[in-house]
Amino acid sequence: MNSDNLISIFQFFLLLLLQAFLLNNINFFGFINPNIYLLYIIVYRLDGNPTLIIILGFIMGILLDLLSQGSGGHTIATLTIAFIRPFIIRFSFGVNYDVPMGMIKGSLLNQRLLYLSMMVVIHHLILYSVIFSSFENIVNILKNTLFTSFFTFILVFVSLGLFKEKND
Amino acid sequence: MRQLINALLKYKNTLLYLGLLIISLVFLNQRSFYHESIFSSVALTFSSKFNKAGKSVSSYLDLSNNNKKLIAENIKLKALELMDFTEKSDKVRVIDSFAFQVLGARIIKNSYNRARNYLIIDQGFKHGIETEMGVISSDGVVGIVNQVTADFSSVISILHRDLKINAGFKKNGAYGSLSWQGKHPKRMKLNDVSTLNPVMLGDTIVTGGMSDYFPQGIPIGKVFNFQKPEFEGYYDIDIELFSNLTQKEFVYILKNMKKGQLNKLKSE
Repeated sequence: MNSDNLISIFQFFLLLLLQAFLLNNINFFGFINPNIYLLYIIVYRLDGNPTLIIILGFIMGILLDLLSQGSGGHTIATLTIAFIRPFIIRFSFGVNYDVPMGMIKGSLLNQRLLYLSMMVVIHHLILYSVIFSSFENIVNILKNTLFTSFFTFILVFVSLGLFKEKND
Repeated sequence: MRQLINALLKYKNTLLYLGLLIISLVFLNQRSFYHESIFSSVALTFSSKFNKAGKSVSSYLDLSNNNKKLIAENIKLKALELMDFTEKSDKVRVIDSFAFQVLGARIIKNSYNRARNYLIIDQGFKHGIETEMGVISSDGVVGIVNQVTADFSSVISILHRDLKINAGFKKNGAYGSLSWQGKHPKRMKLNDVSTLNPVMLGDTIVTGGMSDYFPQGIPIGKVFNFQKPEFEGYYDIDIELFSNLTQKEFVYILKNMKKGQLNKLKSE
């Protein structure tokens, strides 16, 4: 087990606990709880094992649901985003992306923003669709998705700087 | 096999995703009443559609079983009906209580266009059929068992020129013997009815109680035409049968439980 893996495991649990015990209790404007744990899926090595990230996403989601008494929305959303991550990467960075350590270095800012925002928005859309699970609540789903995505996006974007420092 | 493994490896992520998705849906279903209700309503919609389709197929395939059940039920009802006949009638002399056991059978072969017609039914001595048992249908008399094998029996149809059945008027009990002339499968003749008795067109003819084969009061037919010959003491009555013997499918066999006693009395 090399240091990369150790760091990865450390990140996993740090983000999980941070999310479960801190960020889920923010209730900004009454309903906005940014989902910083998504950062783990986002910064996972872009050329990493896609099977592993699916499993990790699932574990992350289910642990978070168990810790925060969630119904299971985080599990499905995180699992799904981990599964479609390769497609989003290909869409954002082009077919021939060649950035081993991810978008931190060597990628254009707009590509990076596209990748981030797609990951965040799709994740939140799935999350709230599962939580509300009805067409009557489509307005609620979209509202929650929009606002929470916005704050998560900001938080993730800021945190990326921290990760970069740590990883270097 | 190798190709299968290759395909599995190729789609391992998708399969893994789907598997985990199912697990998480189960998880969701377990944890949230709201989602459980959504799942169950979706499941109900699907299952009811599938069940409906499956049900229509299975019910079609099950028709023969249903027929068997219905026959069994009809046997019971027929027994009750006959019991009712015999109980209501105060003219019962031979049988003072309902002494017939009813068995059901399906007609395998039926003839009606010869002078001497027979039927073959799918029950034999294995099932308790014996010779000289009466055979009736839901709406009339069919005939009398004359030969029995293990699985099948042959029945002399009432459309048989040599068979005579004791029959009488429902209204007053005047009786005669019913026979077939060999022409039309719905027409029979009732002979030996004394001209002392009044006869009207449309009078109902039922089985008389003097036969060992049938209980009294099973409807046979109605008077269709009659003549009163000048020099004879007996009517010449044409009967139209209630039942159409050319399209029968199920019959009931009547086993006279007290036949032994009757025969004993007769022979003494």
